[in-house]
Amino acid sequence: MKLYVYCLVEGAATLDQPPHGVSNAPVRILPIDDFAVLVSELDNDAVPLTRDNALAHDAVVRSVLDRTTPLPFRFGTLVTAQQLRSYISTRKPALETNLALVRDCVEMSVKIIWTVLNDNKRERQPSENEQGAGARFLEERRQKLLGDEQRAAEAAEISGWLRETVSGVVRDERVTVRPSEKLVLAAAYLVERSKIKRFRDKIAEAGTARPKLHFLLSGPWPPYSFANIELEFETRLGVS
Amino acid sequence: MEKIVVIEEWESSDLSLLETLDHVLNRGLVIAGEITIAVADIDLIYVGLNVLVSSVETAHEVLRKRETT
Amino acid sequence: MKLSPVENPLTAEPEIETAHVEEFVEQLRCVTDTLPSRINIDAHNVEQGLAKLVLTLIEFIRRLLEKQAVRRMEGGDLSPEQIEELGLALMRLEAKLQELKAQFGLADEDLNLDLGPVGRLI
Repeated sequence: MKLYVYCLVEGAATLDQPPHGVSNAPVRILPIDDFAVLVSELDNDAVPLTRDNALAHDAVVRSVLDRTTPLPFRFGTLVTAQQLRSYISTRKPALETNLALVRDCVEMSVKIIWTVLNDNKRERQPSENEQGAGARFLEERRQKLLGDEQRAAEAAEISGWLRETVSGVVRDERVTVRPSEKLVLAAAYLVERSKIKRFRDKIAEAGTARPKLHFLLSGPWPPYSFANIELEFETRLGVS
Repeated sequence: MEKIVVIEEWESSDLSLLETLDHVLNRGLVIAGEITIAVADIDLIYVGLNVLVSSVETAHEVLRKRETT
Repeated sequence: MKLSPVENPLTAEPEIETAHVEEFVEQLRCVTDTLPSRINIDAHNVEQGLAKLVLTLIEFIRRLLEKQAVRRMEGGDLSPEQIEELGLALMRLEAKLQELKAQFGLADEDLNLDLGPVGRLI
């Protein structure tokens, strides 16, 4: 018998009408140290990644969102009770720090697609026909790299501009920039609950200011992108 | 034990599902070594979004269900 | 447990706002289209997994070499003959890698390493 773990919350919490979890299993609260963990008991070795299970996982984590901010676990966390207790007791300070970081916040997600991807097609210069295949190859690579560098600079500019736009209303951010792809930027923002509306307004303004950038705004989410204690654990205890 | 990976047909235009998967699959707390979604034992391989992993018994069950519906 | 004051009621499902649904669907499911409909995990696939790993690293290094070669060419310290030789060698390296990818049934998109918080290798 193993435990499927959804999320961790601080203090003793009560659940009213918890939704069903993965594989339609019931969800219960397990108090561990000063925390409480939402779990389901499962008999399997692996959890199938299906549409229903993925949605159920998120539904369970988000079911506590109206009263507290949880630290979500990644989908598929299936452990014994002992492994769970051991994990928590050895990382208690890091978990407390992480909970403090996300307290009173939710995650808002912004993704940007840019519509102009220059292919940098250029006419071959006459002098190049005198070059050998190797030299031509290098010249073409050079042109491509120039294009890449330019895109990277543009992507960095977009990232900086977005950060400035939301700087007054976010507590933290996790941003990934991919200059060579259409989905040039994917950002997760930690936003205090009282500032959600202002955040949405700022993103709406940003979208209007730059019509060539296509925005996707989603949320509120539980703070999946900010639930991360591994780095801190390793740094503090020198474990790799 | 042989692991069979079966890929379900996702509702491909479900943006809400894709966004949810983007959150629950790649982020969140990890109890090292205990994530049971794996294409192989090599974690470095990027896992596509529509991969379903199950033990042999469960996979057979899924396939059996498909045949009868 | 005390209730924290909430300005907006948090919904049971995530809210998604975008004027460009199809574009984002296309981008978010981009990787999934390259997967075959059924994969058997056995010895062969572990081999393929290792091949992916090795070829990804070689691809990474190959790109670095290309960049270095271009810098040196721009820097003007290579003779035309050297540029030609360097270019040909890199062309052959790229062709060889394509051959290896084909042998293992790997597409360009298959070669990458997700390094978690640090991002992807390529």
